[in-house]
Amino acid sequence: MGTSAVSAGALVTLQELNPSSPNFKEGASFRVTGKLQDYDLETAVAVIVDGDARLNVDTKHLKLNLRSGSMYQFIGELHIEPNNEAFLRARVGRNVDGLDINLYRQSLQLLREFQAEQINTRNG
Amino acid sequence: MQGSIMDALYNTHVKLLAFDFLSLSPNPSCPTDPSSFCRKGTPLSRAESVGVIVTRELKPGKFLRFIIDDGTGCIPCVLWLNQLTSPYFSKRNPSGVRLIAQLASKFAAQIQLGVVVRVRGKITGYRGMVQITVSDVVLERDPNAQVLHWLDCIRLARKCYDKYSKNGV
Repeated sequence: MGTSAVSAGALVTLQELNPSSPNFKEGASFRVTGKLQDYDLETAVAVIVDGDARLNVDTKHLKLNLRSGSMYQFIGELHIEPNNEAFLRARVGRNVDGLDINLYRQSLQLLREFQAEQINTRNG
Repeated sequence: MQGSIMDALYNTHVKLLAFDFLSLSPNPSCPTDPSSFCRKGTPLSRAESVGVIVTRELKPGKFLRFIIDDGTGCIPCVLWLNQLTSPYFSKRNPSGVRLIAQLASKFAAQIQLGVVVRVRGKITGYRGMVQITVSDVVLERDPNAQVLHWLDCIRLARKCYDKYSKNGV
């Protein structure tokens, strides 16, 4: 059967969104998770971090009360600027304080393995 | 034994990841049944999904269309809101129909962009796409609900749905 007109936000960690990664493509849809480090009220740009990795998120389309130090998850499209800096233009976002980030990372790995296994089985 | 489990699965809300749900195909043994689909040869009629609402299109008094993104794909869903005007419900007990209509309105109010919901319903086809015709909505406030649903789906697919599939995967 057909596929939806909306692209699913591929699950990635902020570490995976770097210029050398295969995920780093203009217009690609992602779901990202990180702690809010900074928020600019004028531009509505939020900076989220996960360990050493960080990402700018354009939140101007969202009605979300952002608090520094809280965990957020955003779904949107990646935009790459000429200087190779990327930002996510968020379509939706939510506070995920209380998310078990270690469980999230481990489950993401299991999910990828399962998806690959299922797709291989069907194609094989 | 396998037959009875497959019959039970047919009447269960199977927990499927979106990529798995989107690969369902119409059941060739029941071409006239709009709510019978197959996963690896196993007939299914109902599904359960958890994900973020990423689109919402309301036709008041008619339906609410929305899309759930679970990170592996996007599932189109429809929630009917026409219980008080549809001929389909005209022969049923009016107080029961009013209750169904009230419940559907309550669900529609909960379905807002960016929230995480668990939906259950019938698997149906619409314009060549597989979708969920929603009968039940639960708002998930626990930020770990999505992760736990992924793990449930993986475990059930490996230990149950694949084990008893006709294709014997």
